[in-house]
Amino acid sequence: MKLTSEEVNEIALESRLVLNEQELAGAVRYINNFLDMLDRFKELDLKDVEPFSFAEAIECPLRDDTVVAFKNTEAILRESEHVDGPYFKVPKIMEE
Amino acid sequence: MAELTFTPVIGIEIHIRLKTKSKIFCSCSTNTDAPANTNICPVCLGLPGSLPRLNNEVVEQGILTGLALNCGIRPKSLFFRKSYFYPDLPKGHQVTQCDFPITSEGFIEVHDDNGNLKKIRVNHMHLEEDVGSLHHSASDGRLEGADTSYVDYNRCGTPLAEIVSEPDVASAREAVEYVTTLRRRVIYSGASDVELEKGMMRFDANVSMKCSDGRWGRKVEVKNMNSFKALERAIEYEIKRQKKLMLNGEEILQETRHWNDAKGVTSPSRVKEFYRKFIVEPDLPPLIVTQEWIDRMKAKMPEMPDVKANRYVNDWKIPREVADVITDDKNLAEYFEACVSAGANPVRASHWIRTEVLRVMNENQLKIKDFNMKPEVLASLVSRVDDGKISTTQGKEVFDYMFANNCSLDEAVAKLGITEGGVAGNALNDIIQAVLKANPDVLEIIKSGEDKKGKKLKFLQGLVMKETKGQAKPQEVAQALEEAVKG
Amino acid sequence: MELYELNLYDVIEGLKAKKFSPSELFESCKKRIDSCEDKIHALITRTDDFAKSQLDENPAGLFAGVPTILKDNMCTNGIKTTAASKILGEWKPPYDATAWKFLRDAGAVLMGKANMDEFAMGNTCGSSAYGATHNPNDLSRVPGGSSGGSAAVVSAAYVPFSLGSDTGGSIRQPASYCGVYGLKPTYGMVSRYGLISYGSSLDQIGPFARTVRDLQLVMSVIANYDPMDSSCFRNKNHDFSHNENPSIKGKKIALVKEFQDFTLDAPISDAMNKIKKILEDEGAVITEVSLPIVARYAVACYYALAMSEAHTNLERYDGVRYGYTVNDASSLKEMFERVRSYGFGSEVKSRIIAGTCLTEPKRCEEYYVAATKVRTLIAQDFAKAFNDVDFILQPATPSMQPKIGEVDDDAMKGYEADLYTLPVNLAGLPGLSFFTGYSENKLPVGLQLIGPRWSDSELLHAGVVIERHTGDPKIPDLN
Repeated sequence: MKLTSEEVNEIALESRLVLNEQELAGAVRYINNFLDMLDRFKELDLKDVEPFSFAEAIECPLRDDTVVAFKNTEAILRESEHVDGPYFKVPKIMEE
Repeated sequence: MAELTFTPVIGIEIHIRLKTKSKIFCSCSTNTDAPANTNICPVCLGLPGSLPRLNNEVVEQGILTGLALNCGIRPKSLFFRKSYFYPDLPKGHQVTQCDFPITSEGFIEVHDDNGNLKKIRVNHMHLEEDVGSLHHSASDGRLEGADTSYVDYNRCGTPLAEIVSEPDVASAREAVEYVTTLRRRVIYSGASDVELEKGMMRFDANVSMKCSDGRWGRKVEVKNMNSFKALERAIEYEIKRQKKLMLNGEEILQETRHWNDAKGVTSPSRVKEFYRKFIVEPDLPPLIVTQEWIDRMKAKMPEMPDVKANRYVNDWKIPREVADVITDDKNLAEYFEACVSAGANPVRASHWIRTEVLRVMNENQLKIKDFNMKPEVLASLVSRVDDGKISTTQGKEVFDYMFANNCSLDEAVAKLGITEGGVAGNALNDIIQAVLKANPDVLEIIKSGEDKKGKKLKFLQGLVMKETKGQAKPQEVAQALEEAVKG
Repeated sequence: MELYELNLYDVIEGLKAKKFSPSELFESCKKRIDSCEDKIHALITRTDDFAKSQLDENPAGLFAGVPTILKDNMCTNGIKTTAASKILGEWKPPYDATAWKFLRDAGAVLMGKANMDEFAMGNTCGSSAYGATHNPNDLSRVPGGSSGGSAAVVSAAYVPFSLGSDTGGSIRQPASYCGVYGLKPTYGMVSRYGLISYGSSLDQIGPFARTVRDLQLVMSVIANYDPMDSSCFRNKNHDFSHNENPSIKGKKIALVKEFQDFTLDAPISDAMNKIKKILEDEGAVITEVSLPIVARYAVACYYALAMSEAHTNLERYDGVRYGYTVNDASSLKEMFERVRSYGFGSEVKSRIIAGTCLTEPKRCEEYYVAATKVRTLIAQDFAKAFNDVDFILQPATPSMQPKIGEVDDDAMKGYEADLYTLPVNLAGLPGLSFFTGYSENKLPVGLQLIGPRWSDSELLHAGVVIERHTGDPKIPDLN
């Protein structure tokens, strides 16, 4: 067991997930099995291996600095239940 | 035992908004004054399925900013996802170069307390997206504790350059000189106007204290400074606070503190330090900057303001204070240099600009660009005053007249009835004779030798000067008058 | 023969020749869906009215009037898009995914949004918040996943073709389970703009159809450059035109040495032998390549990266701007926690937690960064292999279609089953899942042909050769 259920629960909360007991138990089993699977990496010498980031050496295409307003902002705002006037309204930002 | 001394160790993080028309990853306008949530689209709002597209101009201005900070430009850099949950961050992560930035190390020179130049090392500058802005109903103007917050995403996705210094700053004063010099250099580079009142420059500071008894205080991160003054006050406050704690042998907590500008204090941020992790942004391939591109940007770079100021001081013997004032505004510096190349004496020209030009600028809320007096014109005025063709007092009248009436130098001189070179020779003698004729009694007294203290003679001198409208040289008048009295 | 039974090519020809009208075709497909959907449950949303409105505008183009269905993780302007998750609620995107835009501009008509595993995380369609989809060839069995719905609608002939997405096998595995053809294109071949991300560096959109030629037709429309996707190919031309009699004479087609020891269900190993024989008869040279890194590390590498990317892709679902939300939270943290805890299903939650765990500062090097390096080795493994051979032949799955609800409670075992498909995504390669025939108990059996990057059209030509021997899949009678 690499991670205790306390640790897994802490990680879940960092991801803004509150798990019930059953979910937590499942997550603990899942994550520990998964980390065991990843132990295979330790068999490899990765010291001098470049991290892979893209399927081939493509470079980031660059966009011209021209303004094109999005026509449908109404449709964006319509999707939120928290729109208040022109703003998105959210509850108090406190983290005790 | 010896009195304990404390050395502040300060590092500064600066966010500067770059000057692009559109956002860093989408084509929305960067105008943050627009009505709330009008400059938004699926990309900057992080709608499911949307993907970022990097703005070429952001990279160009990033390179200029890097060069302005004496940084190296790296041929390859990457973007990352910096995760934390906050309502101003619609994707739940900020896309930033943090771990693999476009620049390597650089530096900014400031003066230490002994007036010697010292380098503040810049660790790196990286490009990233700004977050949305939160408006809130908290009484003390703090985010925390507000009952509700209102989110405007217009600012979300506007391009930022984050500049991270090494902890080389030793005082609030040095901090202010660092950010002032840095701001000037960035403005000169053309990457941003860095308008402070528009919040285009924001500061965080890491402050810790080293005590002469060998103790090190823990690092405290102070956030939310939006002006030079706030930065200075916040650092001074932290230095005092930490000093006091250490003198009382108390612990300094490693924490993030929030600067409250209204109360002038820092207090522990109630928002728990964000949980952060980084993965490579899989939607943006590596950013490649060719040497050819870097050279093109280098060619664009003008002489930097502090370099200019030093040149003024060393080559032209201009006082440091005046040099700083003039180089603070690139256009003003260019105006000044145009005056000099038009033949004006640099020191005199700098004083005229410092006093007269800046005066009318301020009185009339003008920018030097809109100033109607060509540098060549100011140059010849300065020269004429220098050669004594015009007195300093007259020079200032001419300056004001030219500015007010937008006319040529000669026109102004004529209109003000000024005789260049002043009244002398026959013209002067004629006036003297006229004065003597008009005051025979006074002349008598002088001739009779009763004017021991020469009061009467002075009186006549005054009359003559008055008649010449102050355009005669006093000593010449005195001399000519004595001869005339002797007859 | 009913119109809905026609393959894409015949539909296009029929419409061109005015043998039938787009609305007759629409009505036929609609009737087919009406009669089968209760049994198969392949659709999350039906869009008959939208299709009608499209037909009213007399669509023009290669696909003018051709009905199609999209996996529900592709954004459709003004039409509910769910990714099979509760958390997206009734979300209506304000824009079209580029792949759909290309189809729409070519005249294709949208009949519905297909069921899938939630956020494409799964290989049975069982993790959908909208219930399971049934395999049209045997309603008691799964259609595969995550694009199970897209495979089922083509197998059941709701429409002649559909789009799915493939992150670790999500097109190829359901294609073989449902007995249709499916192509996972080279990474960068089809724009991902508007595809709701799972593992951004692995995701790729691709087509399902009942013939290889139909796949070629769809690719000719969706494989176009899109500036909205920075990983989309540039300055490359791809010719997907059909070749009446392509040849694979002299082509070197390899089996993977390390895979020979793994056990396969009998029908699948039979199919392997059958196809090997066909390829040899067609003049191909059957050989062997070694992929040691792939065989041992691909599964771990894939899930490490997919979850690391996935958990950041899913951070945006906080209930503020769209989708499911709560209105009575007393703090922001409470709001986020309630929205996400209710909105995400358990498989998704597990993967978010795993992804968060792997990328935490203290574990990042050991897991996430290590995985990115292993990925480099895997790509090199394939690059080496393709120096010597043209294609690699292998199963799409080791086992036949499982029964619905017949799930292994050790998730990792399920993951191991993806060994045949997910390495292709790690290396960004194209993979064709093709139909080979039926097992004794009438279940379709599919296999997979893999090529080097950008060999998609060659892969399809080889598919045509095989198809000539295997024949097209039968449309199951569901009435």
